[in-house]
Amino acid sequence: MIAYNPAWLDALLIKDTARNWHINGLLSNEQWQAVQDQHPSPFYTPNLFVRIGLAIFCQILLSSAFGLIFLIGSPDTQTGVAIFCIFCGALCILALEMVAIRSMRHFSSGIDDMLLYVGATAVIGGLLALLPDSSAALVYCCFAWPILVVCSIRYLDRLMTAVAFACSLAIILLSVNEIPSLALYLLPFAGMMFSAGVYYFVHKGLQRYDLRHWHKQFTILQLLSLCTFYASGNYWVVQQAGHDFFQLEQPPISWFFWAFTFTVPALYIVLGLRYKERLPLDVGLGCTALAVLSYRYYYEVMPLAWAGTICGAVLFATAYLSIRYLRKNKGAYTYEADADSSLLQQAQEQVLAQVISTQTVNAPAKNESFGGGQFGGGGAGGEF
Amino acid sequence: MQENILDDLLQKELIAPDDALKIRHFESARPFSLHWELTILLYLGVLLLNAGLGFLIYENIDSIGHVVLITAIGLVSAGCFAYAIWRRQPFSFGEVKSSTPYYDYILLLGCLTFLLMEGYWQFQYQIFGTRYGLATLIPMLLFFFVAYRFDNRAVLSLAITAMASWLGMTVTSNKLLSDNDFSSQAVVTTGLFLGAFLSAVPFISEHFGFKKHFSLTYLNFGAHLLMISCLAGMMALDESLIYFPLLCLSVGFYLWYARTRHSFYFLTVAVIYGYIGITYLLIKAADNFPAEFYLTYFVLSCIGVILFLTQYKRFFKNKTA
Repeated sequence: MIAYNPAWLDALLIKDTARNWHINGLLSNEQWQAVQDQHPSPFYTPNLFVRIGLAIFCQILLSSAFGLIFLIGSPDTQTGVAIFCIFCGALCILALEMVAIRSMRHFSSGIDDMLLYVGATAVIGGLLALLPDSSAALVYCCFAWPILVVCSIRYLDRLMTAVAFACSLAIILLSVNEIPSLALYLLPFAGMMFSAGVYYFVHKGLQRYDLRHWHKQFTILQLLSLCTFYASGNYWVVQQAGHDFFQLEQPPISWFFWAFTFTVPALYIVLGLRYKERLPLDVGLGCTALAVLSYRYYYEVMPLAWAGTICGAVLFATAYLSIRYLRKNKGAYTYEADADSSLLQQAQEQVLAQVISTQTVNAPAKNESFGGGQFGGGGAGGEF
Repeated sequence: MQENILDDLLQKELIAPDDALKIRHFESARPFSLHWELTILLYLGVLLLNAGLGFLIYENIDSIGHVVLITAIGLVSAGCFAYAIWRRQPFSFGEVKSSTPYYDYILLLGCLTFLLMEGYWQFQYQIFGTRYGLATLIPMLLFFFVAYRFDNRAVLSLAITAMASWLGMTVTSNKLLSDNDFSSQAVVTTGLFLGAFLSAVPFISEHFGFKKHFSLTYLNFGAHLLMISCLAGMMALDESLIYFPLLCLSVGFYLWYARTRHSFYFLTVAVIYGYIGITYLLIKAADNFPAEFYLTYFVLSCIGVILFLTQYKRFFKNKTA
């Protein structure tokens, strides 16, 4: 079912868990060494930056190779191009299966990722081009869906999973949209029901050891379903959708959507803290910002400058006080970083620093006599 | 899931039952870390506060309130620096751990608000007159001092950007290409020299054992600036004869650095810049060739690069070397 060797995947999983124990001093060096020796995983998985580089060059390689085949075959009808696309996509998938995974043992190397993306895109694109031009969006989604789902299950790819989720959501919403006269009322609730359903089943799946290889994808699905659940009931989203699709200035039961806009983020945060689940907590924090923005879109309480200053001060003070509190009161929560913070998290921190210091200086730069360009810059650093 | 793995390891007798007990206890008593969330809140707080204050001054520049505002900003800045001095750690040539988790952010806020205030003074009272160089030189010196004295890499980045703008350039990575006029000889040359200088600083500081952990910050700015300037010289100024050898030198330098220090980041970056340079030169030389030629080139060259990148382990020197 999985394209990669499951025993090696298991070994990776065990080593990841054991490494964490080792870092926290629960396993001696000898034990850690023994665990490593007993669980070989001869995958080729390069460093993140090399992975990005490999993905870029693999993309260029594949497009040029397709270009060459295209020039040689030179199909001239739409059907011809479509079949050509499917052929190229199939070649990619074949290369992925036989060369990258089986003989070269690539796993998350950038090359297997890119082969999968290009292959799946070409196959789906070709297939959809074969459909009659007047087909509805729903038909396109229904044709793409099985390929996306099979790819995300077989190749354990998180981006594929995310696209498959988006495709499923689109199928649900587009079908509900077909219901005459009730569509307007049902759409937000259909979105909520679908998201809640996905979250529920994925949550169950995360507790099952036999589905362990898909846990990373389940996490992505959880994240997405939390986001789409909130988006389905957010007043701004509902109002804009109602305006664009049904020419309604104000959606029905607007009080409900306003209440939803503000209570759901709070609920996410409370539940996330209560059950020590990181995803609801993080999504809840993000949604709080969206709730404030949604409100500002309709009611301008104060000028932007004051709003920014006050929000900034409040955020800073909240974080400051929370950290102080957590450092003084040892308990179920801590400010100490988990030892297993990934390279990606560190990279994100760097990017954030970069963005922030450029953003902050836009305002004074408007004073034209300030001369010599803008200040700013990021906190580059960390272990690259 | 951890329970299953633990059982598995117990069965294989890789873990003693005593250790398993310890691990179970650790996992159940493990506190929930809010580090990431709170750090982001701190960052966002600094961002919003500073942007909001900046806009406030900008909007109120002619009204009576601005005196109050600028005093407030001055007080914030002074307060941040006072805090930094109050909770300072003794100076050291090596890395210094901050006394509190929010120390770095408070220092950053102090520096950013200082910039706001200085910009305002210049705008309102022209304290530097038309000597704009001085207006950027002062924050640069202050930031370098703060970065080294209080051991803060974010402020060091600010200092490097201030130095670049003192020389008339923008080096922030997302504005490096959009805000600089790379078709001017002066900008390319400045970029080249600044990039070379920034790439050289880490070696000097490592030689003297002085703040070695700042190396990556310098190199990160230096690498991009140096190689983009070379590429700009090739493309915008159309002087490949001078700039292509320079590009080869810089790519070679960073490949050497990646090889000796096992840095995947600089390996990838150098390969990408080098590839762009060579491809540009080739396409320029092979004008009006059939499309098959270019496509074959891309296919073959990409295979080569991929082989190189996948064999990087052999490329890197042994860790003991």
